[in-house]
Amino acid sequence: MNVLEVKNLTKKFGKFTAVDNISFSVKEGEILGLLGINGAGKTTTLQMLLGVMTPTSGEINYFGKDLIKHREDILEQVNFSSTYTNLPWVLNVKESLTFISYLYAIKNRKKRVEDIMQTFQLTELAKKLNSQLSAGQRTRVNLAKSMLNYPRVLLLDEPTASLDPEIAKYIRDFLLEQRAKYKMSIIITSHNMNEVEEVCDRVVFIKQGKIVADDTPLALAKTLQISQVSLVLSAGQKQLEEIVKQQKIEMTTKGIFTHLTIKENEVADFLHQIMDAGVRYSEISIDKPNLEDYFLSVATKTKEDKNNETT
Amino acid sequence: MKLHRIYAIILRYLYAFRRSYDRVTDTFYWPLIDLFLWGLTSAYFSATSHTGATFITTVISGVLLWIIVWRAQYEISVGLLTDLWDRNLINIFISPITFSEWLISFVILGVIKGFASLAFAATIAYFMYHVQILMYGVYLLPFFALLLLNGWWIGFFVAGLIIRYGTKIQTLAWTVAGLVIPFSGVFYPISILPHWAQNISWVLPTSYIFEDARQFATHGTINLNNLGISLVMSIAYVIITIWFIRQGMNKILQKGLVNLE
Repeated sequence: MNVLEVKNLTKKFGKFTAVDNISFSVKEGEILGLLGINGAGKTTTLQMLLGVMTPTSGEINYFGKDLIKHREDILEQVNFSSTYTNLPWVLNVKESLTFISYLYAIKNRKKRVEDIMQTFQLTELAKKLNSQLSAGQRTRVNLAKSMLNYPRVLLLDEPTASLDPEIAKYIRDFLLEQRAKYKMSIIITSHNMNEVEEVCDRVVFIKQGKIVADDTPLALAKTLQISQVSLVLSAGQKQLEEIVKQQKIEMTTKGIFTHLTIKENEVADFLHQIMDAGVRYSEISIDKPNLEDYFLSVATKTKEDKNNETT
Repeated sequence: MKLHRIYAIILRYLYAFRRSYDRVTDTFYWPLIDLFLWGLTSAYFSATSHTGATFITTVISGVLLWIIVWRAQYEISVGLLTDLWDRNLINIFISPITFSEWLISFVILGVIKGFASLAFAATIAYFMYHVQILMYGVYLLPFFALLLLNGWWIGFFVAGLIIRYGTKIQTLAWTVAGLVIPFSGVFYPISILPHWAQNISWVLPTSYIFEDARQFATHGTINLNNLGISLVMSIAYVIITIWFIRQGMNKILQKGLVNLE
């Protein structure tokens, strides 16, 4: 069952099209990554999904209902957290969560606030003012705030930015647990590709306002069909350079490691070839492409496209 | 309309009030300073020019009644600004709260704080100058209600401008109400204003209220027509400015609430 359906969503600012006719859906219990380089249209899309930006055209339906027509009912079941928004500076953590809890129809608010503070390890910070919190603590308070109303759909903008790796892992595990327990659906934007690979079932990749890919992180990475071969050479440096030059293979050297980017189905042949040419290595690792490689390839292509447009 | 959502916004500002010296100062310090300055000045003039006790009463009543307009306006305009400064507006509007619930919260806050400021200032005025705000009797109620309406429309107007143009025009939150004072006849009759200024006065609902309040303080009578005119004008201005702020909100939703700063 789809909890969110976006149909032909478009947002224009004058002549500039920030979001260009995108359509996607999110299933109940699904975690969707919304990726793209800065300025791709992710934040604009998120704002429209939250009802704080009016689309130029298109439809946003949550739980089968139109967001504009059923705003109150829908937002009761949706929440959002971003490192780019703050809670009031002069309020302490408990006061912030308490006043936010009254914005939603929550039963036993006092207990809910206590429970959520415990879950996000905020009990000791309860009396601390938001202005006195570190960036990581503030992110945790924002996340706690977003869970107050037991959201069926949670939108997260860079949810673990500025968190310690240990707490970031705790948050990721928490999200996965919430999904497993309550079938909560989550939409995440993040620049941490490892995180996206770890938690997202599916990724929608936005480029210049358009969806250029919609698949699992693994499937997207596989589309690159390249492998990163890293060698520690013991002999045959010159022979390797000649072969690389002939076959136009990308090669970089960092310290004792020589990195080669080779098409996935040509790795075996390439290794035979360099062995025959007298190249010897003491260590080898072959890394398959991951989501970060895919992200970088799209980002690089976007920059090239822009350069071509300007020239 | 859900009362718990209105309460949420009121709670947010009441929590902030306890810790914000700015807000405490606004509620108690400035009314006190106004009372000292205007009260002592009018006492001096009264003693030297033999204008009598009604002069002090008129001036002090003006100070007290203006507090209602000022607090009602201030809560709306500065309330919006506070959420902009805190970058908290998005947290409010991603919740199910409606625009009208949000506005009503500020209106209620204005009543609470206006009443607190007025009660405080009225007590000081009584002990310092023996001026009793209760001298208006039952008329205090319509005066209070009308002045609140005026504070609201000024507040909605300023908030509508801030929503459109952002914090770069935030100074209007403190200055627009001040612009209305000279034309409202808070301390003097409208008749002493130059002709062009009188024309402005008659389109301000506040001028009718202060004319009546002064008439009551000096002659013990009220011109109900003035109250009627003020009521009709005030309601019309409230409706127009609510429309204005709603339009401003629609406009900012086109740009995205995140971009309002």
